[in-house]
Amino acid sequence: MKLLYSLYKEYKVLIRDRAGLAITFIMPTVLILIMTLIQDSTFKSVNESSVPLLYVDRDHDSLSQTLEKYINNSRFFVITKKQLSNEEVKKEIAQGHYFIGIIVPEHTSQKLRERSTTRIAKLLNSFSGDSTATDETAGTDTSRISLNLFFDPITKKSFKTTISNSIERIISQIEMQGMVSALNEKMSETFPDAKPAAMENTPLVSVTEEYASYNNSTIIPNAVQHNVPAWTLFAMFFICIPLGGNIIKEREDGSAFRLLTMPGSYFIVMLGKLLTYTIVSLIQFGLMLLVGLFVLPLLGLPQLNTGDSLPLLFLIALSAGLAATGFGLLVGTVASTHDQAALFGAVCIIILAAIGGVWVPTFVMPDIMKTISVVSPLNWGLESFYAVFIRNSTLKEVWPEILKLWLFFGATLGGAFLFHKYKRLK
Amino acid sequence: MSVLVDIQHVTKQYKEAARPAVSDLSMKIEKGDVFGLLGPNGAGKTTLISMLCGLFPPGSGKIYINGHTHETHSRESKQAIGVVPQEIALYPKLTAWENLNFLGHMYGLKGNSLKESIRMHLSVLGLEANMHQKIMSYSGGMKRRVNLIAGLLHNPQLLILDEPTVGVDIQSKQAIIDHLKKMNRENGMTILYTSHHLEEAEDFCNVIAIIDHGELITQGKTKELIAQYNCSSIEEVYLKITGNKFRDK
Repeated sequence: MKLLYSLYKEYKVLIRDRAGLAITFIMPTVLILIMTLIQDSTFKSVNESSVPLLYVDRDHDSLSQTLEKYINNSRFFVITKKQLSNEEVKKEIAQGHYFIGIIVPEHTSQKLRERSTTRIAKLLNSFSGDSTATDETAGTDTSRISLNLFFDPITKKSFKTTISNSIERIISQIEMQGMVSALNEKMSETFPDAKPAAMENTPLVSVTEEYASYNNSTIIPNAVQHNVPAWTLFAMFFICIPLGGNIIKEREDGSAFRLLTMPGSYFIVMLGKLLTYTIVSLIQFGLMLLVGLFVLPLLGLPQLNTGDSLPLLFLIALSAGLAATGFGLLVGTVASTHDQAALFGAVCIIILAAIGGVWVPTFVMPDIMKTISVVSPLNWGLESFYAVFIRNSTLKEVWPEILKLWLFFGATLGGAFLFHKYKRLK
Repeated sequence: MSVLVDIQHVTKQYKEAARPAVSDLSMKIEKGDVFGLLGPNGAGKTTLISMLCGLFPPGSGKIYINGHTHETHSRESKQAIGVVPQEIALYPKLTAWENLNFLGHMYGLKGNSLKESIRMHLSVLGLEANMHQKIMSYSGGMKRRVNLIAGLLHNPQLLILDEPTVGVDIQSKQAIIDHLKKMNRENGMTILYTSHHLEEAEDFCNVIAIIDHGELITQGKTKELIAQYNCSSIEEVYLKITGNKFRDK
């Protein structure tokens, strides 16, 4: 009953504290919206999931059409077709409107067909020993057939190589098809009554690629999957400021003194604070999930993929919430004034957030920072959320991070208790 | 009359302090007394009250409240005490009713008895009409009256008052003193009162103790003390004992 009334009192105090509510709920929502919008393009360049491509088709024949079809089917690019000069294409790319520009010159298909026919003829004639026939069928244009590729100067070398290789592979397939068609033609001349079956053009060897997730998920991390858990954890730990302030205020106005003189009440009141603020952090988590699921898509951002295990997400959020509340209790106990708690708490959280990969994800950090990041409780929470969102991990995989959060909670709670006792006895 | 509070040779020395805040202090408070604990700043009143409330144990000596010590019977000792701190120890964003309801539950009260107790005290102290207003909207005198009620709700055997009337208007002061006298008279509530208002102390308390430098200087019935020191008021006795020097820290 005492605990229930303690919870009710904390709820009433919290609900009437507008500044505290703003820090608790509005700040993380705004941070998620702003940071996700800012970082979306950066994450896209890492994810390369929808690369804008400018396609200039001057060929209007089989090669350019087949190339376009292949590029479309790759689902790697967003194609925009325009008829522009080489200089105009360069300008468009340089201005950052497109990552890549491809120009298929005039008569490319026709040249390819001619070259294929020449090569096949040369090959077949070599069997009959008639080397002169080769020259008769050879085209007059001996220059290489070339396509023009333009890349945005900011494109990373590895990404450029990947794209070039992909396009070269597509062109190789088209070349192969051209050669097979030329061979068919030649064979038809030699065997006019034959009815050859259509050549199968599916690759004989295929490479299957899969992300090493625990289930069958192949989710690639994006700005939403980073920013939603990152800023939710930041907000959860920022609870230390209103919570620390709440404890100090009780101490300053004599309420703590009064509560300490009541039988068993101080412990109950502290437990009430702990539970109330843990519930608040869970509400924060729920709210931020809703932002990720329903608000961010309205802004043209990807929808948050929450993975398969909501109970595990709840457990991670609960663990992070307890760790954050424990830290708040410690700050409130150690700090002497409200200003001290606000400053110390804010600086601590900002540093822990920076180290833990909230501002800049750990996967783009230098190795030394990656090593340091493991000391931050925000990193433990973030890694756990990543594991569920991106890799569909189970408790079996994330329990070490969850255990760290619980140990941090125990340590901060123990620290607060010991410091409180020390201050009373001093 | 039987003894409610028995303080036996209590000493308390804070770390890094040159001398003890309370030094080998012994005194008794009998049931039903209105006991005035007087002394200049730094005399050891707050330390003594903190030990009486069980905030920390004495360095040496014993404090018995109704036969129990905080060290062995914390719950019983604390349940016997009601505290009215000098600060307005209330939640400003909660209403008077919400504050008292919460604090009453913390004392282990519940149901109709708690509600009736809150209503009775609010009514006597003229706050019933404002009980659903937030404390932050109250005047200083109204806050003091709610602060007092918070210590009275569980009808404690010993009520400890630290400057209960400081900074309040004369009407609120009168209402507070009258209510305390009534509680003492009708419920037999023992009151330990500290104040720098010596005139108020003389009028309100039947027993006065003056401490200085952590030691008990004198203790006795108010009128007997005045007579003993051949003075006309407690203020004169106080100045005679403690001197005219400033007691700035």
